[in-house]
Amino acid sequence: MPDALLLLLALLSCVAGMGWFALSMDVHWSQVQGKAPHSPALVKALRLGGAGALLLSLVLCLTVDSPSIAVLVWFMALAGATLAIAFTLTWRASILGMLVFWTGPGAR
Amino acid sequence: MTSITLTPRHIASRTAVAILGGYAFTWGVIALGIALMYSAGMEFHDAEHLSYIIGLLVFLTAFLVAFATQALRKVALVLVGGGALMSALAWWVQGLIIASGV
Amino acid sequence: MAWLHTWFGLALGLVLMVVFFFGSLSVFDREIDRWAIPDTRFEPQPMPSFDKMLTPIFKEMQPDAAARAMTAPLADGPLPATFDTPRSWGAYTTHRDPVLALFASYEVPNAKDHETAIWALRTVDPRTGELLPVDRLKIGSEFFYPLHYSLTLDWKNVGYWIVGFSALMMLMALVTGVIMHRKIFRELFTFRPNKSTQRSMLDLHNLTGVVALPFHFFFAFTGLVIFAYIYFPITHTQLTPLHDRHEVLESKETGLPHDRAGVAAPIASVDAMVAEAQRRWAAKGMAGDVGFLNLTHVGDANGYVSVYRAGTDRVQLAGEGIHFKAATGELLREDPPPTVVARINEFLTGLHLQHFKHWLLRWLYVLGGLSGAACIATGLFFFVEKRKRQHARQGVSGARVVDALAVTVVTGMLVATLSMLIANRLLPDAMPAGWPLRGAMEKYLFWASWAVAGVHAWWRTAAVAEGRLAPAWREQCLAIAVLAMTAPVLNWITTGDHLLHTIGSGYWPVAGADLFMLAGAALAVLAARKLQQRAARPLAVKNVTLEAGHA
Repeated sequence: MPDALLLLLALLSCVAGMGWFALSMDVHWSQVQGKAPHSPALVKALRLGGAGALLLSLVLCLTVDSPSIAVLVWFMALAGATLAIAFTLTWRASILGMLVFWTGPGAR
Repeated sequence: MTSITLTPRHIASRTAVAILGGYAFTWGVIALGIALMYSAGMEFHDAEHLSYIIGLLVFLTAFLVAFATQALRKVALVLVGGGALMSALAWWVQGLIIASGV
Repeated sequence: MAWLHTWFGLALGLVLMVVFFFGSLSVFDREIDRWAIPDTRFEPQPMPSFDKMLTPIFKEMQPDAAARAMTAPLADGPLPATFDTPRSWGAYTTHRDPVLALFASYEVPNAKDHETAIWALRTVDPRTGELLPVDRLKIGSEFFYPLHYSLTLDWKNVGYWIVGFSALMMLMALVTGVIMHRKIFRELFTFRPNKSTQRSMLDLHNLTGVVALPFHFFFAFTGLVIFAYIYFPITHTQLTPLHDRHEVLESKETGLPHDRAGVAAPIASVDAMVAEAQRRWAAKGMAGDVGFLNLTHVGDANGYVSVYRAGTDRVQLAGEGIHFKAATGELLREDPPPTVVARINEFLTGLHLQHFKHWLLRWLYVLGGLSGAACIATGLFFFVEKRKRQHARQGVSGARVVDALAVTVVTGMLVATLSMLIANRLLPDAMPAGWPLRGAMEKYLFWASWAVAGVHAWWRTAAVAEGRLAPAWREQCLAIAVLAMTAPVLNWITTGDHLLHTIGSGYWPVAGADLFMLAGAALAVLAARKLQQRAARPLAVKNVTLEAGHA
């Protein structure tokens, strides 16, 4: 797979991971899904998913570049992903419903 | 800090201790670090760079301590005195290395 | 801790805005050079033939007037008309720079300290061997980049010290900021622009500070490590004997002579030595391009040639040096693999100096740098917002002064940057007699336009003394929008390289610069509109002053 595609996947994985972390928090969950239920089991699953996605992102970075560069790319991707999620929550929160599509549409 | 009134003189003395005391202490750490590591067989520039890395973190810590502490005089003494002591030790170790070596 | 963060953050934040912004631009400094010097808008080239192209140029090079002026005070009596004993010849190339940098150092026969050297620098088109006219200022690598690490204040290294101290204060601000902002994870994604200005500015300040916290910390820290030898010149003062002892031992150990023999000797084919170096790297499984070539003790029997591999595929800088005897081409030494400490140091300095080839990482670095600038700017905005109504009631002008300074270093700095690029397109190729050289004119216009922005900032922040929003912000945003659209248009008019052409032919250095400016113009227009809406809002009747550090 070409490097550019792998790096794009790494970035997307970071964004998804950060999105899941955000959705595991009550305040952001209600921004996105309104009054839909936010059970402890779901919170745990979201945090695990978030961690997993970030780990996948790191692995993808390591397949493209030497370790010294891959680590830097990953840390900076985390920063970019966090900014992206924060601004999406502020201005277009409902888009993040995509990340939890299996819980159904948000109840308002 | 909440129990101390922030007079200009107080701010000036904390700043002086943080910057000047911190600098003196860091100089001592780096000088002694280089001398000791080199005498222990580390390559000279490696000793230099590692001492810089450690020293700069020490400077940051000393600066924060100078502003957080309730015992400013004690901190000032440790920073300036400790720095001078370490510098002197570095000088002594250098003397030993030069005398013993090629 | 809050006091420390606020007041030292404010004072040094003004300097740090400059450091972070021009640091961000410096990620693409060589690309900005291409924009500023249209003659160099061609693809990067491999290192050309040293024997055929570079040796004749080296033989002709002499230090310029500026170098002579800097060295004159270090000599007893007047400097010689020409410098005949070159100590070293060096050539440096990167994957980003189409032109080659050549530098030569010469002995100064009547210097007070016999180690003093004088330098000559030239820039060469490696396709033809043609020298670039001396008066083409590389606005990116020779102005924005030095501005970033020394504010271009070279007298007694004062600028380096100011930047160094502000870097230390940046580290302090990060540590105290984390201590103050306890809900660092819970509020990681929090940004509430619809609440009070104080709340939204503090949210943004926390957000931009925390998301790139490793970046901010490591860049400030590694910046200090890179220049530690200036801030703590211990091995050239207190521990000089140890340093000198090491130099003597090292040259014995490595077989690379420390001093000239005083016996003249020819220089064998450097091209052959380069080819041999590349063969050896390939044999070790790390084939690569030459990044740096250096001849030491030029023309002497003790002369040696050092060939270094360009560090494009990893963070550590150029390495794997291979050294040859200059007179015969025989191998003297292959640098051994670096020690653990050397690897740590090379990683730290390499991550800051960015010799690697990785466009995504570079753009992520720009994102980090601009986040840092945003963190500092929003800190300034929060400071003013929190105090301006109280100061207005008390008849104190503190908030107004800080707002004027904030306008000057945030929008004013952008005005100056764009004005310099516009001047670059409008000034004639050769200035008329009696005028300063073109490069100097560009610098004067940078500083002059910044000063004008500062005067405007002072004048148009009077409203802050009455607790209101200063019109200076909106006005300078509009100025930025106009300037940021003008520069790419002037690029088109004066060079023919409009966006359809540069994007179509894939010449990204220039296309990228133009697109970045146009994107900036769009953001400036957006900001001006938002500021206008905010100015039209009635003043809040009750004002809650937020404590930084409480959620």
